[in-house]
Amino acid sequence: MAGSSEEGQVIGCHTIEAWNDQLKKGNDNNKLIVVDFTASWCGPCRFIAPFLAELAKKFPNVTFIKVDVDELKTVAQDWAVEAMPTFMFVKEGKIVGKVVGAKKEELQQTIEKHVAAASA
Amino acid sequence: MSGFEGFEKRLELHFFGDDPSNNMVKLGLRKLDFDCIQHTLEAVQCTVVSAVGNSYFDAYVLSESSLFVYPTKIIIKTCGTTQLLKSITPLIFFAQTHLNLTLSSCRYTRGSFIFPKAQPFPHTSFKDEVNYIETTLPSNLCFRKASIMPSKSSSHSWHVFTATKFTAATTTTTHNHPFTVEICMTDLDRVLAGKFFRRPGDGKSGHSAGKEMTELTGIGEINENALVCDFAFDPCGYSMNGMDGDWYSTIHVTPEDGYSYASFECVGNDDVDIVHVLRKVVQIFRPGTISVSTTTAAATTSSVWRKVVGAVEPMGLKCRSCAMDQFPAEGSVVFQTFTPIRRKKCTLGRN
Repeated sequence: MAGSSEEGQVIGCHTIEAWNDQLKKGNDNNKLIVVDFTASWCGPCRFIAPFLAELAKKFPNVTFIKVDVDELKTVAQDWAVEAMPTFMFVKEGKIVGKVVGAKKEELQQTIEKHVAAASA
Repeated sequence: MSGFEGFEKRLELHFFGDDPSNNMVKLGLRKLDFDCIQHTLEAVQCTVVSAVGNSYFDAYVLSESSLFVYPTKIIIKTCGTTQLLKSITPLIFFAQTHLNLTLSSCRYTRGSFIFPKAQPFPHTSFKDEVNYIETTLPSNLCFRKASIMPSKSSSHSWHVFTATKFTAATTTTTHNHPFTVEICMTDLDRVLAGKFFRRPGDGKSGHSAGKEMTELTGIGEINENALVCDFAFDPCGYSMNGMDGDWYSTIHVTPEDGYSYASFECVGNDDVDIVHVLRKVVQIFRPGTISVSTTTAAATTSSVWRKVVGAVEPMGLKCRSCAMDQFPAEGSVVFQTFTPIRRKKCTLGRN
């Protein structure tokens, strides 16, 4: 498969349309999607951001999406996000995991677990 | 003997901005770049292990204790041989240059170190600490007081330094939580302390091992509504921050025998069931000595310390000392110590 320009990147979704597109694309490709719910005013989100970018490079077969909870308020509400950052793991349209807080080790382990499950 | 120093140093800094319509005041210190926080923590000599924020504040679990960042308030608490007071200068500088916020008050508190000789300057003595803070703070924080509050035992004193620019309490800001309770516990029950050791090679992350400890020890029941950010250190030790709206709590445990120590801290108001909280904390650790320091905002008359006695004494502990002191515009501090009425007989040698 030819690598798209988004591969290896954390994709920022600034509109509902972009968000729906990315979710659909990930689900159609049967890829693991990691959604980072973040806020500009949240210090822990700035702490984890560089690490998430590293993970995106490390796991090119995983789709990384970033959602600002103030920009896409309804999405954050629908997904019951109360603390930031919250990472949701989506597979085939279902939420398969969740990490609340900037926890590097936990985040990486959870991605590895779901990637392994997908290739098993 | 030497070992890890569990007793934390705690610093609370309040800032203000001249222009309340300034967006910086609304988000304030939470807007600080992570680089600024990292630089500050480097000066103290600790790092972030996990962090989470809600709409009110950010809570960081550190390699040595915790950091809380509110829009105009920072609480930083560090144990071991960290140099907490070295955070004052960078924090004042970053708040001023990046956010146009200036320092309005400062409160430094700590118990008595188990290994005082292991502490680096400026934590070599309370006198050194006070001298260091006095020379570091801007001169407009001119209402200052240092006090060592005693207990019956010379090994448990409460050290307090406050400085403020205000002549009287300023209750215009959100005194949503008029009191803060800081609890220090030593000589923990061995079996209970044992729950804060990790099983070798458990293959877990510090986060998931921490989560397991939160559940197994009952820490999760202190406030069931709180979001808990926890971490288990290798091979032992535990830290957590709890957040429930603008309410925070924090626990740190050094479980090693011989110098076992645990601390609990939270803010409170009439809505916080402090009796339930205290009883849970006593149950979780069953300490040989427990000290409770209650700091109450100046404008409120409080009987929290009476509630403390009422909560703790039915748990088989007895109040052995109670000291009280007033601090300019910063309110009052009550320092109480408790030990068990009857110490369990040592069961060594029994099968």
